[in-house]
Amino acid sequence: MSLEKYESVIGLEVHAQLMTQSKMFCRCPNQFGSSPNTNVCPVCTGQPGSLPVINKKAIELGVRAAVALSCEIHPESVFARKNYFYPDLPKGYQISQYERPYSTQGHIVVRLKSGDEKRIGITRIHFEEDAGKSNHESYGTLVNLNRAGVPLIEIVSEPDMRNAHEAGQYLRALHSILRYADICDGNMEEGNFRCDANISVRLRGTEKFGTKVELKNINSFKFVEKAIEYEIQRQVFAIENGEKIIQQTRSWNSGKNVTEVMREKEQAHDYRYFPEPDLPKLMISSKWFEQIKKEMPELPKEACERFKKAFELSDYDASVLTSSKELAKYFEAVVAHCKNGKASANWVMNELLGRLNAAGREIGDTPVSETQLAALIKKIDSGEISGKIAKTVFEEMFATSKDASSIIKDKGLVQISDPAALESVVRKIIEGNPSQFAEYKAGKVKLLGFFVGQAMKETKGQANPALLNELVKKLLDS
Amino acid sequence: MLSREEVLKIAKLARLTLTEDEIAFYQKQLTRVLGHIQDLNQVQTSKEAFVQHVPNDAESFREDRAAPFANPEGLMRNAPAVENDSFLLPTIVEHS
Amino acid sequence: MEFGTQTIQELLAGYRAKNFKPTEVVERYLKNISERDEKLNSFLQVRPEETLKRARTLDAQIDNMSTLPLFGIPLAVKDNFLVNGWQATAGSKVLSGYISPYTATSVERLEAMGAVVVGKVNCDEFAMGSSNENSAFGPVRNPWDLERVPGGSSGGSSAAVAAGLATVSLGTDTGGSIRQPASLCGLVGLKPTYGRVSRYGIVSYASSLDQVGPFSRTVWDSARVMEVMSGFDPRDATSSKRSVPKFTEELNTNSKRTFKLGVSRAWLEGVDSDVAKSFDSALEVFKKMGCEIVEIDLPHTKYALSTYYLIAPSEASSNLARYDGVHYGYRTQSAKSSEELYSRSRGEGIGREVKLRIMLGTYALSAGYYDAFYLKANQVRRKIQEDFEKAFTQCDFVVSPTSPSTAFKLGEKTDDPLKMYLSDIFTLPVNLAGLPGLSMPCGLDSRNLPIGFQLIGKPFGEAELFLASHQYEQARGQFALPSMLKGKG
Repeated sequence: MSLEKYESVIGLEVHAQLMTQSKMFCRCPNQFGSSPNTNVCPVCTGQPGSLPVINKKAIELGVRAAVALSCEIHPESVFARKNYFYPDLPKGYQISQYERPYSTQGHIVVRLKSGDEKRIGITRIHFEEDAGKSNHESYGTLVNLNRAGVPLIEIVSEPDMRNAHEAGQYLRALHSILRYADICDGNMEEGNFRCDANISVRLRGTEKFGTKVELKNINSFKFVEKAIEYEIQRQVFAIENGEKIIQQTRSWNSGKNVTEVMREKEQAHDYRYFPEPDLPKLMISSKWFEQIKKEMPELPKEACERFKKAFELSDYDASVLTSSKELAKYFEAVVAHCKNGKASANWVMNELLGRLNAAGREIGDTPVSETQLAALIKKIDSGEISGKIAKTVFEEMFATSKDASSIIKDKGLVQISDPAALESVVRKIIEGNPSQFAEYKAGKVKLLGFFVGQAMKETKGQANPALLNELVKKLLDS
Repeated sequence: MLSREEVLKIAKLARLTLTEDEIAFYQKQLTRVLGHIQDLNQVQTSKEAFVQHVPNDAESFREDRAAPFANPEGLMRNAPAVENDSFLLPTIVEHS
Repeated sequence: MEFGTQTIQELLAGYRAKNFKPTEVVERYLKNISERDEKLNSFLQVRPEETLKRARTLDAQIDNMSTLPLFGIPLAVKDNFLVNGWQATAGSKVLSGYISPYTATSVERLEAMGAVVVGKVNCDEFAMGSSNENSAFGPVRNPWDLERVPGGSSGGSSAAVAAGLATVSLGTDTGGSIRQPASLCGLVGLKPTYGRVSRYGIVSYASSLDQVGPFSRTVWDSARVMEVMSGFDPRDATSSKRSVPKFTEELNTNSKRTFKLGVSRAWLEGVDSDVAKSFDSALEVFKKMGCEIVEIDLPHTKYALSTYYLIAPSEASSNLARYDGVHYGYRTQSAKSSEELYSRSRGEGIGREVKLRIMLGTYALSAGYYDAFYLKANQVRRKIQEDFEKAFTQCDFVVSPTSPSTAFKLGEKTDDPLKMYLSDIFTLPVNLAGLPGLSMPCGLDSRNLPIGFQLIGKPFGEAELFLASHQYEQARGQFALPSMLKGKG
């Protein structure tokens, strides 16, 4: 199969729940995990006679998102009804935005693993309300409307991504921005950051877009790239076999690692959009807009610049450490406790992140807390242990979540910095290696390393390296 | 005259099962009303001049404060079927 | 003392004078209902125990009654309003058995000021109709002639007050559903300016047109209900924040003003001769009061029917999508697939006229038709609105008969929806333009059936409407009573 002949065209649609206290159009609590149908009221259950009223904070968060994504914000936009029938849609329509969304024409710049940067366009962002949840059991469908009416923004990208990696990076960057700006919790497992992908393939060099397939149910970062890659391959394989790509909706089956045709909902929906008559136009005044901009929390790019300056980090290091809000916070906490920016950066990036990635864990799930790591760094800085020993200690900290102090104590790893103790070890080594001693005295000064190495071995690596070096030289030269 | 197929298509979109009598009735009446409505084409209108029915001083927003609804049992009590505090739709063996 | 034809003013005076207590009054009205309503079928639900319980709490507050401007007033509420604990069928099988989990703002406000809900009254299904013959619970009959319709869709609200079964009632008006039945039953009926009264708790028919309004015997009563009920509601994003004047205070000053009344003769073509005669007589009364009649032009009102019958059904098709038997309401027993669960529930539960409008609206909004239908209709709507704006530079009110005819016979127009729609030619444009419209009785035809006179005011011009119609009322004198009430107080 000649994948190389083809390029894929990928667009992503992200639905992000907004971090408000109450729902989009009613005062029900915006809360995850409550017992079924307890965060409900006449409005979000679509009772006869109920009417929507817009949550001001939801609009503010949406505007924040648009600013963070460099989008144009329209002072006047319109809510519209999207009409369709489904058990988790109690009104029989969703209040959304259609022809006139509040925001259009933005972009994100993403960093690729090659080191290059790519600009991904954002077509539009609009407000809508979430639907409830249907659980299909053997005996029927159970509908829980707790989620119905939760505020969402839908962020639609331009079809600018050309492979799964770019899509993954876009998603991570978007996720990070929304989290930094306190717009969305970004918890994919809880369903407050959901992604659908539109994927098509075409022969490289052709202009015409292939038939696109919609991929839903990508509910964790782990699966995003896998699912997209699979779908691309599936399409290429099909084309190479002379099959036509059918425009359809597929979902990722994480058990079988394949995309499958979703349970058929309907053919092309006719949503019969029309402006929501129960709501006035959405007006975002320039005064309000300026205020929202002013109150904008720090964004990843700003955090990155700040880290570069404050901790004297390289562009690369700063961007890694600010790639997620959690990670940035973790790093800053470590520095706050140990006061050593460079060391903190080194340890977080190389030791911690490396191990987390290998274990498939996120920073939120770290077995080593900020204070624990900071304590370890302080022990190196104070000379209590050597850097080398510290790596061993850290390995143990990661595996057991124990404090450095207790590990060092249990394993007797305290660095030996007592000159008297080290002197006696050095003397022992010198006495035990008379021929090397003679060679050294004759001029082979390189053998200093030999004596240091042997002495270090004798102390099981616990000797303070700088002090040991000094003592060996002193004793050899005397 | 609206065709029978068009009537059935509309009925499907609107989720309305119709009897044969109803199909014939709606075919006739929809056609009549739609015929009458053609008179709107006589009026010269512009795309921008759309009625704004909401009063200018209507309040657009509410503050983001949660307030649980006082009568949640009242909401569930009208449900045709409930199971595990959820609205229940029975599984019906689908026709292919 | 017979009860049933007293006004709010008369009841309040009687309470103040301690001539009677709320429980006595309410008992009498409940008795009237049980005695007379079988012939009328205006009530769908009464809860005598609940109602009397409420009346008893008011008995205890009689010394406080000055703080309760609707103290002890029997109120009937159209069954498309939600009132906590009461049914709300909206005249439909789909909502048969539905018990409201909350109360509409308008009713809440009236109850808070002392009104006593004596029952939920019948209406055309989902407020769609002009004769109350579209109810799933049987037609309502006109107290003036039991073979005739009371008008619709608020037929029950109108018949109940006309027959002395409530002092005032609430209805809704989307295309004339308060004014036309008020006209056919000899009552005062007001459709306020769009946004004047909260729509929260009203089963939505056409969101951009629906308004809540009172039925009463006098203008003063209407003004009293309005000053209690109107005003901004944070639960209705289309409600205006404009302050609500003390309408009755202004009426109490009995100031005499003169007004310019605008008449469009072209618009008035095709009216029954008795109606035309009565309308002209009413104009004479206004002239005698010093008012001027000016000829105005409303060139686009002839498109009101088409405009309305595109906009209202479109919005309705969406507003009624929630009646699917999933979360409440009627669910079919005969579904053979999940899709059938929806379409059989709706097909079996919803009546013929409503289904017609749902289909019309679905079609008008469907892919490819939106521009030609819904959008176009809203553009013509703007023209109709502009016609009135222009007219109001020449007059204070636009006037017309409320209905082209008096009460017609049951069954007379039911076979022909389009014919039925024509009952509303004078009322439709008022909803389309969002203006306030008041209908008051101005005469009787040769069959002793009431004729109504409509005043259409400027946006939020209810105070002026009350003033002008109150003055007319004084000049006209007492209006007749239906024969079923002849001899009763």
